[in-house]
Amino acid sequence: MIFTIFKKELKDTLRDRRTIIAMIVIPILVFPLILGIITKVSSSFEEKQKEEVFNIALITEDPSNDFVMQFSAIPDSLGPKKLKFYSDTTGISKEIAQDSIQLGIVIPSNYDELKESNKQMNISVILNETNLGTRDRVKKYLDIIEDNLMQERFDKLSLDRKLTEPLVVSYVNLASSKEMIGKIAGGILPYLFIIFGFIGCLYPAIDLFTGEKERKTLETLLTTPVQRWKILVGKMMVVVLSGIAAATFALVGLFLSLEVFELVENPMILEVVSSILSVQFILSLYILLIPLTIFFAGVMIPVTIYAKSFKEAQSILTPVNFIIILPAMVGFIPGIELDYITALIPIVNIVLASKELVAGTLGFDLMAISFLTMVVFAAISVLVSYRRFGKETNIIN
Amino acid sequence: MIVVENIRKTFELTKKQRKENNTDEKIAVAVDDVSFTCEPGRIFSLLGPNGAGKTTTLRMLAGILQPTKGKIEIQGVDVSINANEARKHIGFLTGSTGLYERLTPNELIKYFADLYNVSDEDFKKRKEELYTLLDMHDFQNKRIGRLSTGMKQKVSISRTMIHDPEVVIFDEPTSGLDVITAENIIKLIGDCKKQGKTVIFSSHIMSEVDLLCDDLAIIHKGGIVYEGTMQQFRENMTADNLTAEFIRIINASNNAEI
Repeated sequence: MIFTIFKKELKDTLRDRRTIIAMIVIPILVFPLILGIITKVSSSFEEKQKEEVFNIALITEDPSNDFVMQFSAIPDSLGPKKLKFYSDTTGISKEIAQDSIQLGIVIPSNYDELKESNKQMNISVILNETNLGTRDRVKKYLDIIEDNLMQERFDKLSLDRKLTEPLVVSYVNLASSKEMIGKIAGGILPYLFIIFGFIGCLYPAIDLFTGEKERKTLETLLTTPVQRWKILVGKMMVVVLSGIAAATFALVGLFLSLEVFELVENPMILEVVSSILSVQFILSLYILLIPLTIFFAGVMIPVTIYAKSFKEAQSILTPVNFIIILPAMVGFIPGIELDYITALIPIVNIVLASKELVAGTLGFDLMAISFLTMVVFAAISVLVSYRRFGKETNIIN
Repeated sequence: MIVVENIRKTFELTKKQRKENNTDEKIAVAVDDVSFTCEPGRIFSLLGPNGAGKTTTLRMLAGILQPTKGKIEIQGVDVSINANEARKHIGFLTGSTGLYERLTPNELIKYFADLYNVSDEDFKKRKEELYTLLDMHDFQNKRIGRLSTGMKQKVSISRTMIHDPEVVIFDEPTSGLDVITAENIIKLIGDCKKQGKTVIFSSHIMSEVDLLCDDLAIIHKGGIVYEGTMQQFRENMTADNLTAEFIRIINASNNAEI
């Protein structure tokens, strides 16, 4: 009988446009879209930065000094530029504000003299830092000039530049790139599952409980000789399946972004993604996620049983959404690791365990504790749902 | 057969409800000490103004609500002890019944047949009979959401009757329906009687009651204020017509309370 209810509810759910959008369309599109937009915007920004001609004001009383010579000689491959010469800073701010020039560089009047006597030369750069990339561009120019000056000074003193670098440090990282990505960015995977798992459960939960009350079909269903717990379980299975499906489609979207659309070029990330997409990893991940999604369904269903309308259910569940998502963000906080205490905190344990799973460092004991903790919480939430569903005043509008 | 003995139904009032109803009482009595019997092959009508307790009583008969006190037997099965067994014998139809609009009539009828454990053979036979009787073949595969009110009501009837229940409960079945659709329901209720089923229906439309009923009870403020056969009701009435007599009984009950 449970399967009969499950089959019907699944068919009904899959014909609901809102559920399809929340369960399949949004999760599968979100990553290709976000990564696509980021890649497009950042590459077009970089391209624009490379090609943009900077009008630069060199402010000096002596336009033939060495700084001007060196600056003029910087190749256009570091960014094309047009130089203008000014004797003082009058009007520079206005021109920068009008964007007729992008940079003003104030060179000391005794630049050559200071240079010859191996003294420090103070260079001031006037710019508007809200124009992204301007500071980076000028830093590139100035780094070249400074490097040349350093070399000149070392040559003049007949000294080896290495004298100023007494320590040559090399770091030997024993962590694999998989572990690195797992620890640093592994939080994104459980976060995804939690967000999309939650959203995936949301509409079916409201539709199958509050929606049935609103449409007055629940009353008819309750006149059939089917025990209420079977009705609840049949419906709950669809809610859980929708949550897992939404999270899975989000993963599929991420996979498509990386492997098919090639929206991420970082070889380390690609290597890690390929290595984690193993049968063992996916199975372990689902073992952790199934009780989590049941817990979500168990939290939502009592609300949707209690609510008298779709709107009321949505307005109650929106703050619940935030409460659920906050622990999911723990995965991004550096220093918080899965241990015997965090393994007992629902949602947080799954986030941290999934993170360890990505890194390939999840131990069996902590995985078992996290899983069992989540099973206990899922069971409690199901029990609460059952009690709510049994309450007459909740099921009859 | 339906036997109802001294049933009472109370609901706890929330603070909000107490405020809305301007009362300090924590409990609202919806039905109090109601008893009646409905015989097979007869139509029993439960009459009453809005809020009298008709729907609550019928929901208790259908096993949706549990009586706070008292006993209900459907075909000899105590609803409080074995609600599921009792529900197997019941078909329940209301005028405001919702349907799964994303399913087709075929899918919906099959779903309910499965819930009632109707065998495939019986299902095919019953479905064909009902579809022919109600002229449903043309729209059996259309989504219910796209059907007219009349078509939807036919689907509701098929859903109610697919398991061939011995007891049929109609809760204001013609409420809000057009004349032609209402006529279908009236015909169905008459057919149920002919087939020897136990029929109970609630209404406040006296012409329907006059046309169909063998027995009736008038419920007001949760209690039975009149019970008898339709014939007795007609013979003993002091008002000009059935509606006036119904109102007279309600008013007399109000005055007796005062």
